Amino acid sequence: MKLGLAIDLDTCVGCHACATACKQWNTSGTIGPLTDQDPYGRDPIGTWLNRIRTYEVAGTPVAGIPVEGAPVSKTVHMPMSCMQCEEADCVTVCPTGASYKREEDGIVLVDQDKCMGCNLCAWACPYGARELDEEQGVMKKCTLCVDRIYDEALPEAERQPACVLSCPTSSRVFGDFDDPNSTVSKLTVERGGQGLMPELGYKPVNRYLPPRQHTAEAMDVQRSPMQKLAQWTNKLIQR
Amino acid sequence: MKPALSVLIFTVSSGAGYGLLIWLLLFYLFSPDALALALSPDSLRTYFGLYGGIGLVLVTLGLLSSTLHLANPKNAWRAFNRFRTSWLSREGVFALLFYPAFILFAALLWFGVDATGLTATTALVALAIAFATLVCTGMIYASLKPIRQWHNNLTTPIYIGFSLMSGSLLYGMLYQYQFGKLPAPVFNAFITSLIVTLLLKLLYFWHIGKPDGAGKNRTTIGDATGFSQAQVRLMDAGHSSGTFLTKEFVYDAGALRLLILRRCMLVLTFVIPLALIIWGRQVGIPSAVYLAMVFMLGGTLLERWLFFAEARHVVRLYHGDQSN
Amino acid sequence: MAKLPQFENHQQQQTKFTTCYMCACRCGIKVTTEGEEIRFIQGNPNHPINKGVLCAKGNSGIMKQASPAKLRKPLLRKAGTERGAGEFEEISWEQALDMLTKRLANIRATDPRQLAFFTGRDQMQALTGFWASQFGTINWAAHGGFCSVNMAAAGLYTTGQAFWEFGDPDWDNTKYFMLWGVAEDHASNPIKIGLKRLKDRGAKFVAINPVRTGYQAIADEWVPIKPGTDGMLALSMIHVLLQNGLVDEAFLVRYTNAPYLVVNTPGQQGDGLFARADNGEPQVWDQASESLRDGCLPDISPALFGEYHDGNGRPLRTVMSILVEKYESDEFAPQQAAKLCGVSADTIERLALEMAQVAFQETITLDIQWTDWAGRKQDKFIGRPVSMHAMRGISAHSNGFQTCRALHLLQILLGTIDCPGGHLAKPPFPKHTPPGIKPARDTAPNTPLASAPLGFPTCPEDLVIDGEGQPLRIDKAYSWDAPLANHGLMHMVISNAVKGDPYKIDTLMLFMANMAWNSSMNTANTMAMLREKDDDGEYKIPFIVNSDAFHSEMVNYSDLVLPDTTFLERFDTISMLDRPISEADAACDSIRQPIVKPDRDVRSFQEVLIDLATRLNFPEFVTEEGKPRYQGYQDFIVNHERAPGIGFLAGWRGENGDQHLRGAPNPDQWEKYIENECFFEYKLAPAQRYYRHANRDYLDLAVEAGWVGSNAQIVLEVYSEPLQKFRLAGRGLYDGPMPNDAQHQQRLSTYFDPLPFYYQPLEQARIDAAEYDFHAITQRPMFMYHSWDSQNAWLRQISSQNFLYMNRQRAESMGVEDESWVWLESHNGKVRAQVKLMDGVEANTVWTWNAIAKQSGAWGLAKDANESKDAFLLNHLISELLPAQQGAADITNSDPITGQAAWYDLCVKITPADPAETGAWPQFDPVNALPDQQASPDSLSYSTHDNVNIKRPLKDILMRGKL
Ligand SMILES: Nc1nc2c(c(=O)[nH]1)N[C@H]1C(S)=C(S)[C@@H](COP(=O)(O)OP(=O)(O)OC[C@H]3O[C@@H](n4cnc5c(=O)[nH]c(N)nc54)[C@H](O)[C@@H]3O)O[C@H]1N2
Ligand SMILES: Nc1nc2c(c(=O)[nH]1)N[C@H]1C(S)=C(S)[C@@H](COP(=O)(O)OP(=O)(O)OC[C@H]3O[C@@H](n4cnc5c(=O)[nH]c(N)nc54)[C@H](O)[C@@H]3O)O[C@H]1N2
Ligand code: SF4
Ligand code: SF4
Ligand code: SF4
Ligand code: SF4
Ligand code: SF4
Ligand SMILES: [Mo]
Repeated sequence: MKLGLAIDLDTCVGCHACATACKQWNTSGTIGPLTDQDPYGRDPIGTWLNRIRTYEVAGTPVAGIPVEGAPVSKTVHMPMSCMQCEEADCVTVCPTGASYKREEDGIVLVDQDKCMGCNLCAWACPYGARELDEEQGVMKKCTLCVDRIYDEALPEAERQPACVLSCPTSSRVFGDFDDPNSTVSKLTVERGGQGLMPELGYKPVNRYLPPRQHTAEAMDVQRSPMQKLAQWTNKLIQR
Repeated sequence: MKPALSVLIFTVSSGAGYGLLIWLLLFYLFSPDALALALSPDSLRTYFGLYGGIGLVLVTLGLLSSTLHLANPKNAWRAFNRFRTSWLSREGVFALLFYPAFILFAALLWFGVDATGLTATTALVALAIAFATLVCTGMIYASLKPIRQWHNNLTTPIYIGFSLMSGSLLYGMLYQYQFGKLPAPVFNAFITSLIVTLLLKLLYFWHIGKPDGAGKNRTTIGDATGFSQAQVRLMDAGHSSGTFLTKEFVYDAGALRLLILRRCMLVLTFVIPLALIIWGRQVGIPSAVYLAMVFMLGGTLLERWLFFAEARHVVRLYHGDQSN
Repeated sequence: MAKLPQFENHQQQQTKFTTCYMCACRCGIKVTTEGEEIRFIQGNPNHPINKGVLCAKGNSGIMKQASPAKLRKPLLRKAGTERGAGEFEEISWEQALDMLTKRLANIRATDPRQLAFFTGRDQMQALTGFWASQFGTINWAAHGGFCSVNMAAAGLYTTGQAFWEFGDPDWDNTKYFMLWGVAEDHASNPIKIGLKRLKDRGAKFVAINPVRTGYQAIADEWVPIKPGTDGMLALSMIHVLLQNGLVDEAFLVRYTNAPYLVVNTPGQQGDGLFARADNGEPQVWDQASESLRDGCLPDISPALFGEYHDGNGRPLRTVMSILVEKYESDEFAPQQAAKLCGVSADTIERLALEMAQVAFQETITLDIQWTDWAGRKQDKFIGRPVSMHAMRGISAHSNGFQTCRALHLLQILLGTIDCPGGHLAKPPFPKHTPPGIKPARDTAPNTPLASAPLGFPTCPEDLVIDGEGQPLRIDKAYSWDAPLANHGLMHMVISNAVKGDPYKIDTLMLFMANMAWNSSMNTANTMAMLREKDDDGEYKIPFIVNSDAFHSEMVNYSDLVLPDTTFLERFDTISMLDRPISEADAACDSIRQPIVKPDRDVRSFQEVLIDLATRLNFPEFVTEEGKPRYQGYQDFIVNHERAPGIGFLAGWRGENGDQHLRGAPNPDQWEKYIENECFFEYKLAPAQRYYRHANRDYLDLAVEAGWVGSNAQIVLEVYSEPLQKFRLAGRGLYDGPMPNDAQHQQRLSTYFDPLPFYYQPLEQARIDAAEYDFHAITQRPMFMYHSWDSQNAWLRQISSQNFLYMNRQRAESMGVEDESWVWLESHNGKVRAQVKLMDGVEANTVWTWNAIAKQSGAWGLAKDANESKDAFLLNHLISELLPAQQGAADITNSDPITGQAAWYDLCVKITPADPAETGAWPQFDPVNALPDQQASPDSLSYSTHDNVNIKRPLKDILMRGKL
């Protein structure tokens, strides 16, 4: 199994629901607590496993950008959590073995009891998916909600990552990329899903589905300056 | 990358320590002149005690300092576990192994004095371990793909170069202190390592380009976000008062300042010590070498600081940098 | 697979359903608790509103419950201290209620209007409005007047339904969706769910908005319009449609007043009113009988066009003829509109023709049998799958009513009202245009109002003014200032009361309204007004009572503070009598139930209102013998009947709980709701789902449910005769009350055009546009609800500072750099803000997130919190009055028709601040801590149980290869 997320950049509105859903689930979840410093003070800061950034993308080669009309730029929201990389250097650099990739499903996890808080894995992660919990001194990262997806006490439909359950635009889809019939695999094929920065060689599992652009046809009208009011005649329409 | 003082101290101090010890071992093995082996056994002991001791103290200080950087040091002992994949783990293991190897060597020397084959073998082993430790330390950084300024073939050689260069000067300084002179092999060692390191470092600067993220082999925000053909700009990082990521990775010293500091570093580390040593030797002012060491120390610290300050992790691209 | 540990001890956990109130969207939630703590809040997948999803706020309910700003006990301003100094003493509930009862009883026995009761972002207007009527004060309204009354009014006077919370696009069928001026809106989750469905179906999504964020980010086409010009854009599209003959004539004939005959006698009384038969019914020209006929009859063939005469020889024209003549004129040509709107003529034309294409060439047909208003069987629903949604980008301008009417007109011409794929009403809408309730006018001591305080005037006689034409309400709603002020003018209350114009009041009672800060215009002055005293040393507003749950800025300015529960601690109803949670195809309402016990001495305001009503002997709340009629709020909800069989909750009525919508009270109603996950959903039959304005099966149900008064057809009002009556009054041609000052006469005759038109927003007409060359607007952040969420430790990490977003090119041309500080100056004042540059904003517009800024010390935040030191409040720049004009009396900065606050008319000039000037300005003295206020924690490490770590075995660590 190669579990991960397909994230639809065409429909993500950047609402941060997945980010706070993640925070609330995981602060009491297997990787919790996710602590916050100066929560009511100046410059509050805390540990999050999923963050949303917003970009403006300009230039024609990108889908979804109108060709005419200024400013030619499209706003794209990009949620980012761990990509569960196949070549996860965050794991190989970890000296303690606290970081590991599960053989059975590819989820990359941190065994908090063994982490020494050296930050090296965070340095090794190109996607900013690891955060050191300042208060607890250990590394935190997305667990792909391993504590939900396998919890048989939950109703089957809820055995999904918290962020996926919560996303109001269903822009996050969870599934097995090894299974060609899974929704995530199909979406990836249909929509040309991409992993980020493939050139670094991490083989991220998560896929981003690029923005699309739907167009509509305009009604074909013969335009002659003659046909104005004249054409309004009463039709026999019954009330 | 945010330069962490503990890590700067670690790399400078243990770098110089290993350098010193490596030269000690090298001279022992290959250039007895430099060791003043003609000295009496007693002085030899003091000699080794002093050089070895100082080297070990520096190495140990460095290692201790590096644990200050750990957020959860109680698990530091586990760092030896992933020797199979982790350069940090390997560094730890070699650093640890170095102690018995070197102590054994020192003990043999202390008690056996004569250069038996066993002593030489242990010296070789200790030398190899010290060298391996340096390689590992270098590789910790060089293996990190997200940091272009680190992930290259120069990072490790430069680290080793700095270690050997500062180690040789340290060696020379101690020698000067003890014997009031700077023997030719030490002088040569210093000059050679300095020139090689300088060349490597210049090559490095050329390779990484100006510290404004505009280098040749840079990654752009477009590559990072997948819109590689487009002009991408960050509109909102999603968290208005910073995050672990911005604290850890987004360090802005300013490109101009960095450029100036680069020059300062070159002058402090290379030009001044080189001049002082040559001049000191010609004119015969012994204290020049102490002064050179002071500059070298400052320069090396600055070099390490720059090494971090100029390193632009790709995560910065997600936070708005146009390129790294 | 390696065995995983048991992560959650489900035995120790409990799940309960309730309704989220992190915002007014009211999603269904399932809350898991562990002990007294909340483990997890998730969306209820069965809930009609959110279908299992939650937004960022809903997901942060835990942190609202953990807020250090929660009020703990009733507070009384310390005797001898100044209002606003924040010196309070804690008192008991008994003391608080006693004191309040005495004061209110006295007011009620003398002049009930001396109590002004206004409520902010609440969702219980059915209860507070009823309470006010029972008290006998006309001075009641909720926040609609500063929120979006333009949308409600324009809709209810035009189509009987509306945007806002009253209707939805048909997300499942629409093929073309146009979103006007919406950043988030009340249907936060439904809109997002809908947009996804629509995009996945390949429908085109067009966003008309000066800013490209949020929803606009995912639009297929973004139209960066100049603020305040949407009316022109819509009318120009209408121009294109008309020029090409692209309107749904059958729809117009059958469902609208487009064929009605209008008297065409300019300059005379009666001009512009409908020609009516003796029975009062409007006349049309029937082509079959070639005669004037009652336009409401079935089976006639009204002429859409033409000029006719009535029996007295008065010239008549059809509405449609007037309309075509008006909008075909060059004034509305795309080339003209382009100059104003900043949208190219080609785009305007193309958008209109795209909509026409979808409406007329991509029609959808649902083969469902239904019965029309006249009882005729029909065999299909024809759908024109173009839909729209619009909100505050339209409404928060002083031309918003007419602009919104223009949008409705566009929908009507395309035939997309309540049809498959079009814009669908949500029960209890549609209602008759406009609904038949009139605003109460008369008050008397100890006497309930004869009708509700708010209603829908249709002629000057309905205004709430005295014989001299002076306003009778404190907010001057339903006066010549704002005749159709259907939701009151909350933003004028403080200002009017302090000036004693039209009169002074004794007590201002606020509920869930932060009037000292983000919901006031002109905030700094409002704070000063709240402190203003008469010569005798008495405050100009003598007593301020405030129900709040948190330490808001308003709390600081209150005399008596009634601490409320949080939404997870109380019973609540989201009633069909109010703003229900209905979906287009289902009538729905819901409740809240307590999930956790309050750890403080707080009471729900609902309970407090019932208690006060009983103490004050409101007729509905005490029996003939003077005994309390209801044992608290829950009892009231179950047993109170608005009309026979109609109560606050529509589900499980009747003694056995087997009747829905109407039925006798059911003592077990709450239990039934709780069993059903706290909501009730009454699905409409397929035959009742469309054309409900003319759908007999639906209208009969609506009458039965009490949603409408009759099953007569709801005729869509393309032409608004009520507006024309006001216009005539302005022109001195009305047979009834008329204003006698020039300003009002001019406003009525200009703005009360019975057909939608564009006019320049009022503030802009009174300032120097060259000097104040930027439009300044706010947007709702999706992750925060007004002022509520800076106390939320998670949400404030997303944004604790708002920036001023400027167009990059424009800013650079002015030398304004990214992240620099600038001065923003309006005719009313100035603020300092930090700039961020972006591409996706119309060049003449700047914007910021709303209500992030806080007064230092409030909301449990540190005194140097980013919200008070770096964030800025745009409200300081917005005046509640229009810029003064020579010879004219001060007048509200609102839509001249509805009194809607014109937040987004604001124009500013921008100048770079000196490099030494950083940080937000103005700054205010920090708010004092409350008695017993606990220090906010320096760190949080919330969890309900120790984490169950997944251990990696040592063997694996040592033996595993690379990965
Ligand atoms: N998350 C969250 N949700 C909320 C609220 C909240 O505070 N937070 N508040 C609730 C309340 S009380 C309300 S009233 C609703 C309001 O919901 P919205 O109507 O979404 O309110 P605004 O954020 O004011 O959005 C107005 C939008 O109109 C645009 N705009 C401004 N002027 C013009 C114009 O002239 N023309 C056009 N076409 N667009 C324009 C702005 O750029 C902005 O995108 O949201 C409700 N929902
Ligand atoms: N510049 C600018 N200003 C605006 C707007 C804008 O777009 N731009 N929008 C306007 C609009 S549309 C609106 S609706 C208003 C909203 O303005 P308000 O109605 O004032 O809304 P809030 O700031 O959400 O909250 C009011 C108070 O409710 C309290 N509260 C929260 N929960 C509870 C509870 O459970 N019980 C009680 N009793 N109190 C509670 C909060 O603590 C707060 O003090 O703002 C308006 N102001
Ligand atoms: S995204 Fe980062 S943390 Fe996750 S597997 Fe890849 S490298 Fe590791
Ligand atoms: S921080 Fe923890 S998990 Fe990361 S590399 Fe260091 S020990 Fe491993
Ligand atoms: S999968 Fe779970 S842990 Fe990962 S981002 Fe989503 S909610 Fe967070
Ligand atoms: S919840 Fe969905 S729409 Fe919202 S930011 Fe996350 S992925 Fe985007
Ligand atoms: S939209 Fe969000 S805050 Fe509002 S009710 Fe729904 S979940 Fe709660
Ligand atoms: Mo609102």
